[in-house]
Amino acid sequence: MAKWGMVIDLEKCAGCQACTVACGMENSRLPGEHWQDVIFFSEGEYPNTQLKWLPRPCMHCENPSCVAVCPTGATYKNEDGFVLIDWDRCIGCKYCMVACPYGVRFYTDEKPLIAPDMRKVFPDEKGKASWSPPWKMPEDKEDWKHGVGVQPHDVVSKCTFCHHRVSTAPKGTVDLDPSDPKLREHTPACVVTCAPGARYFGDLSNPNSEVNKLIGEKNGNRLLDHLGNKPQVYYLTGPGGAVPGSRSMNKKGNGEKS
Amino acid sequence: MNFTYPTTIPEAIQGVVKLNTERNTTARIWQLSLVGLVVSLGFVLFMLVTEGHASFNTSSDGVNWGSAIATYVFFALTSSGLTFIASLATVFGFKEFYPIAKRCIWLAIVALIAGFSVLALELGHPFRMIWSVPFGMQIMSPMFWMGVLYTIDLVLLFAKFYLMWKEDWDSALSHFVGIAGFVAVICASGMLGLVFASLGMRPMWFGSATSVFFMLSAALSGAAAVVVTVQIAYGFRINAMPTALKALATGDKLPKVFATLIGIVLLFLITRIWVGLWSNVDGLEGFISLLHSPWFHIELWVCLVVPFFMMLTPSLQVSPKAQFWAASLVQIGMFIERQVFIISGQNVPMFKGTWAAMVTPYSPSVTEWALVVVGLSAMFALYALGERLFNLSAMPKHVLETNGVLARA
Repeated sequence: MAKWGMVIDLEKCAGCQACTVACGMENSRLPGEHWQDVIFFSEGEYPNTQLKWLPRPCMHCENPSCVAVCPTGATYKNEDGFVLIDWDRCIGCKYCMVACPYGVRFYTDEKPLIAPDMRKVFPDEKGKASWSPPWKMPEDKEDWKHGVGVQPHDVVSKCTFCHHRVSTAPKGTVDLDPSDPKLREHTPACVVTCAPGARYFGDLSNPNSEVNKLIGEKNGNRLLDHLGNKPQVYYLTGPGGAVPGSRSMNKKGNGEKS
Repeated sequence: MNFTYPTTIPEAIQGVVKLNTERNTTARIWQLSLVGLVVSLGFVLFMLVTEGHASFNTSSDGVNWGSAIATYVFFALTSSGLTFIASLATVFGFKEFYPIAKRCIWLAIVALIAGFSVLALELGHPFRMIWSVPFGMQIMSPMFWMGVLYTIDLVLLFAKFYLMWKEDWDSALSHFVGIAGFVAVICASGMLGLVFASLGMRPMWFGSATSVFFMLSAALSGAAAVVVTVQIAYGFRINAMPTALKALATGDKLPKVFATLIGIVLLFLITRIWVGLWSNVDGLEGFISLLHSPWFHIELWVCLVVPFFMMLTPSLQVSPKAQFWAASLVQIGMFIERQVFIISGQNVPMFKGTWAAMVTPYSPSVTEWALVVVGLSAMFALYALGERLFNLSAMPKHVLETNGVLARA
């Protein structure tokens, strides 16, 4: 049993959103509803401002609040540390979305975020999925028990850490290094595509894994750690850097409290 | 209404058929609500079939639970409150409240059915819930327990109403069902509060005070609902009421209970907004938007402060019309409260980037408003049905004898 986790080096991340696009293609995401997103935000006040960014996949928490609140067991944490959704069990109550401190969950049956509405441009003729994107994965790879595939109607979805790729990795693999041709197809799409190599994926339960070394040597930290969810995604911020301590990136918007 | 209540199923069917043509207050409520229900439900179903839940204004970027959930909470807590009020007589032995006990139980049943109906139309897969909740056994989830407890509550309400219909008010079984129902409803309304109160990442909801507030504000909603319906049932004619009910409606006991509950709810609201505005905790910015919202001020000043003083004024507290208007305002206030509580608790977005507004704007869509009409019309239609089929003002013989008259019919 592994405990898969991710390390994102913010000193290397260029904010190019290639991970967002790769994830969207790999997981047939509706444009605008990004399982993996890069959140841009500004800090400071003019003239001392900085534009910053933070890639935000699902944190696959050790103590996932989404799992604790789910009334049906549709959201669950498996033995390899993935937090997943069984689309055949989900009743679409959205309690998990409300209880996720990181805002990583999506309900597709909403007003379209972009025009034209891609669900109407590419409708699913069978009525099974919420739409039929022209670049979707082969049907035999779809796995609703693990929330993999084109999202069906009226269920919640989120990043699976590319469960369909990682779960087929050779047993005993500690680091999923995309530069190793044998492991590339088993590595999450966002990690494979990251041009600056800012993402690392490996087994957090193995003390010799690359991810554990990075966390230890470069002082990896987690988002909103005070909430106790204990994310399995760590950020390397470099000296003097930090992950945002608040959820709202726009503290000065709308003339509200800053 | 001088008629005999049906005792057999054919008589009941005949009664329902007659409701469509009769010309009294109950029949008018039935006819209007039936039209409202058919139109609103038809519209909601049409929108759900054509647009799906995209016809709601909720979004993954901010307000995940919108007006429909708030409407469900409003009905569920009104139901719980009605059971609390009925318990004043059936559990705690305050005999003055017997004349409204049966009406409260029937209203509690119909309010809960209305709430469940709205919830079912909000859920993505309501039918899947029938097997996935019991087989999932997610005992960590407050929502799981909310479902279990409200189901037990509904079963016990039906049992209590059946016993009342059989005029069994005082047997050991009747007392047991009454007490069990009271315990169930305390747990159910408290657990509904815990659905929100358990979430540390939602500071506007977090904390046990939310759960206690749900129970107490439920009692206020229940008291308001029964005052409104008693006055409607007798068309504001005090003299048409049975003596015991008349004594309750014109006495100061019910208004005093009512005023006390308004006062408690006001204290909760004021201390909550104080904490929200004072604290700098991330996520509490919703309280500032709450303060800027006209709805919050309508709730606070018009729907709670005004009725509070009305019910404290000796000349107004015994006036049926003043009671009716105070109760109606309170019910509107409680509806607004459920909405603003649930919406403002979510509208500080979580990690959505600079482009996301600091406080997500949200107002219900036409479909979501139609769902409110579905709930209200279902409740009023079922209430009228109960008024026609059962003697909702029935009370135990010993209470009748004390007052020297028999109930109507």
